[in-house]
Amino acid sequence: MGSRRYLLSKCLQALVTLWFVLTFNFFLFRVLPGDPIGMLARSEKLSPTDIAQLRHDQGLDLPMAQQYVVYMKNVLTGNLGESLRTGLPVRELIGSRMWPTVLLVGLGTILASWLGLVIGIRGGWRRGSRFDTTSQYSSLVLYAMPEGWLGMLLLLVFSGWLHWFPAGGYASADKTGVAHLVDLLDHLFLPLLTLTLGYIGGYAIVMRSSMIDTINEDFVHTARAKGVPERLVRSKHVVPNAFLPSFTLIILSFGFVLGGAIVIEAVYSWPGLGLLTYQAINTLDFPVIQGVFLIASAAVIVANLVADITYGYLDPRIKQA
Amino acid sequence: MRSRRRNVLAMTAGLLITVMIASAAYAQTATPTSSSSGDVVLRVGVIADLDTDNVFAVSAGSDYTVATSEYDMLLSFSSKDLTAAPGLATGCDHNGDYTTWTCHIRPGLRWSDGQPLTSEDIAFTYRFVIDNNIPQYKSYFPSDPTFETPDPTTLIWKAKAPTFAPEMPPWVYIVPEHIWAPYDGKDLKTIRGVSQTPGVGSGPFILSSWTPGQSFVMTRNPYYWGPTPSLDRIEYQVYTNQEAMIQALKNGEIDALDGLQPSLINSVQGSPNIALQKVVSDWWLNLAFNFGGQPGSTYTPLPALHDLVVRKAIEMAIDKNAIVQKVYEGAATPGDTIVRPASAYWHLDIPADKEFQYNPTAANQMLQQAGYVDTNGDGIREDPKTGQPLEMHIPASTDTTGAEQAGELIVGYLKQIGIKVDLLPATDAKMNDYWGSGNFDAYIWYWSGDPDPNYQLFVFTSAQCGSWSDGCWKDPHFDKLYEAQHTEMNQTKRQAIVKEAQQYEYDQVPGVVLAYPNWLEAYRTDRFTGWVGQPGPDGYVLPTYNYDTWLSLHPLGETSSSSSSGLPGWVWLIAAVVIAGVVVVVVRRGRKIEPDEA
Repeated sequence: MGSRRYLLSKCLQALVTLWFVLTFNFFLFRVLPGDPIGMLARSEKLSPTDIAQLRHDQGLDLPMAQQYVVYMKNVLTGNLGESLRTGLPVRELIGSRMWPTVLLVGLGTILASWLGLVIGIRGGWRRGSRFDTTSQYSSLVLYAMPEGWLGMLLLLVFSGWLHWFPAGGYASADKTGVAHLVDLLDHLFLPLLTLTLGYIGGYAIVMRSSMIDTINEDFVHTARAKGVPERLVRSKHVVPNAFLPSFTLIILSFGFVLGGAIVIEAVYSWPGLGLLTYQAINTLDFPVIQGVFLIASAAVIVANLVADITYGYLDPRIKQA
Repeated sequence: MRSRRRNVLAMTAGLLITVMIASAAYAQTATPTSSSSGDVVLRVGVIADLDTDNVFAVSAGSDYTVATSEYDMLLSFSSKDLTAAPGLATGCDHNGDYTTWTCHIRPGLRWSDGQPLTSEDIAFTYRFVIDNNIPQYKSYFPSDPTFETPDPTTLIWKAKAPTFAPEMPPWVYIVPEHIWAPYDGKDLKTIRGVSQTPGVGSGPFILSSWTPGQSFVMTRNPYYWGPTPSLDRIEYQVYTNQEAMIQALKNGEIDALDGLQPSLINSVQGSPNIALQKVVSDWWLNLAFNFGGQPGSTYTPLPALHDLVVRKAIEMAIDKNAIVQKVYEGAATPGDTIVRPASAYWHLDIPADKEFQYNPTAANQMLQQAGYVDTNGDGIREDPKTGQPLEMHIPASTDTTGAEQAGELIVGYLKQIGIKVDLLPATDAKMNDYWGSGNFDAYIWYWSGDPDPNYQLFVFTSAQCGSWSDGCWKDPHFDKLYEAQHTEMNQTKRQAIVKEAQQYEYDQVPGVVLAYPNWLEAYRTDRFTGWVGQPGPDGYVLPTYNYDTWLSLHPLGETSSSSSSGLPGWVWLIAAVVIAGVVVVVVRRGRKIEPDEA
């Protein structure tokens, strides 16, 4: 298969997936019981006539097929609609939550993948060493630990007992300039620590096991037989080959950054996309849910595409298949 | 080559971490003990973010908190008992037959942008609500009123029939005509979509910034007509985690918090310098029976519910005290009537001798005597008329604090008297479907209303079947009582009728008022003094019905600050040095080991 054809087919696949996700999102949230306007009834004293009027204003009384056409047309023109709950444009809402999420989850992913790889490489290379056993156990423990629980624990210790860090939020409202930046770091520390600890295990385990697989490959024995120094066997022969599965994992993790970290964001009141998703689902705010799901799935699909393409170059065998 | 690159990487990472830690250290040492500008700032933690900054779209919690601080009403609610108190008007007089009310507006009022506020703004707001059919407010204007403004300090309210509406008083925030006139006549969606930050209001604090999901800030209004508050600013911080919010209060990051789950009472109670406010209830949890007959409904609810004996037996089988203790951790009182206790002037406390006491044995006897016998030995009684077993589908709102847990208890209580309950937990959106379609035998949800009991009685009238009515209870005698209080202009006489209506409704058991849960607030006692409860000492201390607290709060010494006690700067510096050292050691070791391995 030629390079260009490979690229084209991958892009086409991505587009089809995106369309499928869009359609799926549309129907998924509409088969959920209840409707967003109805939720306002008791708190806003809306009588059934008022509800019907609001439903009409929002286009929720149109036939499903017609709603779908309107929705697709809007999405293609970049119009994500307005939140049913707040009336604010969804694009604005997502925009305002994007930065906190990228900061937290992006930084967490970088830190966790870097530390995870280092641990995995070292552990896999010296299988059975004390470092390996310790790191493997801790990786498994961290990997298996529910993020929310870990978050609550760190919150209790570092904020509740030691009073070192604030108990949640993004930054205090009245600080500017350097003070704001510093305040932001104060608030960022605990969620970032939780996220990094929570993610490290996965990377370390994958990297370690592919190191072990690769070490036993024939070409490694050949390299050793040729008298290649151990240092070079590791850095030139084992790590590059063992890195492939971790590479996919890392690229995909970056795709998931825009999905936010729902549990951690909720524990630390971190105003990111994860929290927005959580709140929107609770209030059945269709346009917002669709918006965040669209952004999140588009990011994953793009990351997948990037992984597929670069993978093809990193490992030419893939393109042949 | 490769290892040098790795070293550089490790050094960079080490440096990055050191810088981060050093700047955090700077933060700790540089955190001022008072707000950087020297302003007096009150910090409040809230669970509910602001949904809207638009008074025509307010729906819950924080929306009302902000609106109540930012806007005035024609007449306010008194902190004592929530009856009418002076607001923008010092008072209103009525003519002989209560069809014309003349309200005296304070002279020299200004909006927060400096524009004059006159009776014309009030008339505009009222017409805007009526003409644009604003759902939250339109019910406050019965009998097609018109509004006249002969001069800037006089508002004349003329109704087609006698009314006490102006003195209820109407819960309608007065908005500036010069801001809202362009939206008059637009559709509801457009009106509700208008954003108002920074807002223009007449209250003591104006919403000056709002970062959705994070925080919102209210700043003192320089043109406020009343006494100048001590506070310069009120900063609201949104928490999505209640435990974290409590921690923030204990650490002193916030001075007060609004809305606490009953299950967390124990983590606040007894903490030094923290007061817990169990607010007298303004909502109630109810078990409403469905009598059927909703327009378009195809469902036939359990026919036995039409029998008063069955309804009374259910009421007597439910242990309300246990619901208070187990579901609300004691932060509630057992329910009795449909007018909440916060409306102290109107609420009827059912006398003990007229109360249905919890007594499952007596309930069983009543059902047995009325012929509801378990004929097939499956533990469930059968209806003697239809032979149908007494089985009920009961949806319970998962969005209402305690509804589902109360439902779980009720399953057990009713089993004891031979009634089977199929509990269906449902979100409010789904509850609304059940409610509208009439597709349930009973449901567990809540009611909440105005300080004035009119609305709360209104929803129980026959005509509300298919609209506000829970389960289409139709009782002509209750309808008559509702009408009588609605047209009685003498307040003392009206109070008597309202109480009679409550007793009658209680006796007829169209539903069971399960509990009056307390709203929970907490505040630090070492920061500010002068919290005002509304209504009375057991009322809300954070603005709900009025903003009296904002006017009387005074800082106690050095208060106006955030300040977690913080890890001292030197600890940070040492940590930074240690980490930098570790990085250096790791890098060096890497260099040494690699040649050995080769």
